[in-house]
Amino acid sequence: MDRVKTFKSILWALTGLAIAFGITRMFFGLGSVSNLSDATPWGIWKGLNVIPGIALAGGGFVMTAVIYIMRREEYKRYSKITVLLAFLGYITAATALVVELGLPWMVWKPIIYWQHHSALFEVSWCVMLYLTVLFLEFIPVPMEETERLAKLRIFLNKYKIVLVFLGIMISTLHQSSLGTLFLITPEKLHPLWYSSLLPILFFISAVAVGPLMLVLAVMTMSYLYRKPLEKDKMANLAFGFMLVLALYGLIRFIDIISAGKLPLAFDGSWQAWIFWIEILLLLVIPVALLSFKKMRYSTPVLWITSISAVLGVGLDRANIAGIMLIRTGPVYIPTFYEISISFGILSAAILVFLFCVERFKIWEVKWEDPLEKPEAPPEFGGPADVWLGTPRIAGRTVYSLVFVLALALGFAMISSERIQSAGVEKVPASKARGGDTLFVDGNLDGYGTMFAHEDHIQRFGDKKSCDLCHHMNIPLDKHSGCYECHRNMYTTADAFRHDWHASPAGAKINCDKCHQPGVQRTASSAKTCDKCHNDLVAQNAVIKFEENEALSYTDAMHGLCVSCHKQKARVLEGKEDLDRCPTCHKVRDLESIPSEIKMQFIDTTFNHVVIPFPDLVNRVKIEAEQDG
Amino acid sequence: MKAILTDVTKCIGCQQCVLACKDYNKLDKDMPRDWHRNDGLSARNWTSIIHKPDEHYIRKQCRHCIEPACVSACPVAALSKSPEGPVTYDPGRCIGCRYCMIACPYGIPRYEWDNPVPYIQKCNMCYSRIKEGKQPACTEACPTEATIFGDRDELLAEAHRRIKNDPDLYIGKVFGEFEIGGTQVLYISDIDLGFLSYPVRKDTPVLPETTAPAMSAVPPAFFGMGAVMGGLYWFCKRKERIKREKEENKE
Repeated sequence: MDRVKTFKSILWALTGLAIAFGITRMFFGLGSVSNLSDATPWGIWKGLNVIPGIALAGGGFVMTAVIYIMRREEYKRYSKITVLLAFLGYITAATALVVELGLPWMVWKPIIYWQHHSALFEVSWCVMLYLTVLFLEFIPVPMEETERLAKLRIFLNKYKIVLVFLGIMISTLHQSSLGTLFLITPEKLHPLWYSSLLPILFFISAVAVGPLMLVLAVMTMSYLYRKPLEKDKMANLAFGFMLVLALYGLIRFIDIISAGKLPLAFDGSWQAWIFWIEILLLLVIPVALLSFKKMRYSTPVLWITSISAVLGVGLDRANIAGIMLIRTGPVYIPTFYEISISFGILSAAILVFLFCVERFKIWEVKWEDPLEKPEAPPEFGGPADVWLGTPRIAGRTVYSLVFVLALALGFAMISSERIQSAGVEKVPASKARGGDTLFVDGNLDGYGTMFAHEDHIQRFGDKKSCDLCHHMNIPLDKHSGCYECHRNMYTTADAFRHDWHASPAGAKINCDKCHQPGVQRTASSAKTCDKCHNDLVAQNAVIKFEENEALSYTDAMHGLCVSCHKQKARVLEGKEDLDRCPTCHKVRDLESIPSEIKMQFIDTTFNHVVIPFPDLVNRVKIEAEQDG
Repeated sequence: MKAILTDVTKCIGCQQCVLACKDYNKLDKDMPRDWHRNDGLSARNWTSIIHKPDEHYIRKQCRHCIEPACVSACPVAALSKSPEGPVTYDPGRCIGCRYCMIACPYGIPRYEWDNPVPYIQKCNMCYSRIKEGKQPACTEACPTEATIFGDRDELLAEAHRRIKNDPDLYIGKVFGEFEIGGTQVLYISDIDLGFLSYPVRKDTPVLPETTAPAMSAVPPAFFGMGAVMGGLYWFCKRKERIKREKEENKE
């Protein structure tokens, strides 16, 4: 395998995975694949793709300014690459937004509904406008392939300077408005990052890192396609924009020191450590290495500095967009699906980039001296004159295979439990404890209900009354506890063990015994348990047995108790409050729970929330109305 | 300007307000989800009771800020401040960007993470009832008058009166009177209610005002950049021309 094929196969695989997870997200909601939460509404997609992606696409407007406005003709060779990089950077951000936005098909709405106080309104307009500008700037390149559109191409090229001006003006707004976004969070963003200068800092760092991103891209391409690198030009570019980076560092430190925040950087917290890592990557390494003229022109130094600056600015954006926002909830760790989608979008963009490089005349560098050629004699071909390797298995065969396999793997990897549970925590229901008085506390959080079991037995006529409530019992057990079938606290559970009934080692029952012959075999068309197990199913139960699915523990308890309580509330005198929640949920009566039942970990500081059950309240109301 | 005053010392934690809210706004049943914060609020619970030590119950709900950060953050004006005071939400405009959740200093807006067509959910002070001249469902349901509805000025006066009458019981401050521009849901309490918002410093500005200077700098920045670039373009072209002329003269 050669470099290009290996690299592209990995990218295709990542793209395939991401598409599988992306489809899942579209059908089952954001919660099905991500760990985003009410405490962390913006996650890795915003913090890794959208906001850093746009910073790294800053090269588009900076380099066009250098080439067309400052008229540095020697960089003209890189104008197409840099525009393509910016275009794809914005496409990456837009694609990530499609996944990330709750209602991506409504993304055009800022065009109609104006709200000019919002920084995000400005951002969305800038994205739309600049994408258009970048499209017009780039489209003449693929147009060169056909002669039909020559007139349009010439027209676009003629007025390119207008597009360049527009691009610069829109980008200025856009890069800075991303900083404005976080001005509204003074009480959430860590003080080392929060500053009223955020818009300016965002703009300057984007100006600095855009061209360094170009250096990184050109170096990667020259490695992949074994083409010569104009090292002196790259070094000069890197040096020039390293100075801008130094200016950024200067402003940032002056801002931090003048606000008296510097001690925070030395308090040893993890935030301080990340701050120094960011400064090391973004400032110290590029500035230190590029300052020396001798080191500037060596390939490893260019690699290190460009990667370091790109990572540094990326980390800065990620910090501001998420990592350093104070949380008051569960810690956010992105899921594997989220990370895959993030990298998949990047991979797809890189694939498009490489496709354009291979297919179009974007990067016209040739070896002047044939002796300088790398190890294997490269085969140059195609309109772009790049080395595509010696094909043993055709590239497209490998790529399609890898892509389809990754897509299938992605679908196979999606956890059905995660989708079915829809974010509901699986809490196994546990046994009620106690003797004559039971402490009903299915999720063991210490906030249960005292249930006078013996008292209820007495009231309903002794032992004969058991099957009023114990409506279904497991074999060889007379009065099974509720938790035996209502196994989950909040989700339904299957009360019927199909495997065991059908298996030769178990009940060895013929299908026809439960499923009628000729009718499709489903759970709903099958016989219910009481058709065979008439001794286990209570005849005079309050709750009639209708299907094999056991409700959640909370629903079961409420359904059984409340249905009876509301009847009695109407009949009994002086018991009108019997169907009100506090009758059973006496949160204040915690002290009265016998100490042998009370759990050791009862924590009164826990924010206890009795989850209301409006469906029940509604039912009560409807029935009350019917009764008149 | 309508408001709600909640007296923490009077709340018995019976959750009638929570039920009334769910009932009136037709909110679905809820279960503990992975994405909930532990304050009981969620896309299906617009108000909740937080239980704090020593029999303290604090009702949490949208604070209906006088200068709401969420309204200033929303790019499509889906959230808006109505003339009567409640901050209301128009799902027809929402694009699902969740910037309001980032902007809110009280962490109130919640999202339907399990819904493929998700919307923001938050208390709207029963705006439709207020327009009918009624009070919100929650204050109507409260059996102890711990949470009451009325005009903001009157409720503020009432709150100060209660504090003055019993200075030993209450903390001498109406929560929501001044913080971050003031809110329309006010609290008086015998414990500190700082936990209801993100840490607010004394110098925390009114949030919409933090982005206002940057937003008003947009047109000057846009045209200023254009002018600077235009100047630079002219200068570089001139330099080029002079250089070329010099070379021609030499020849």
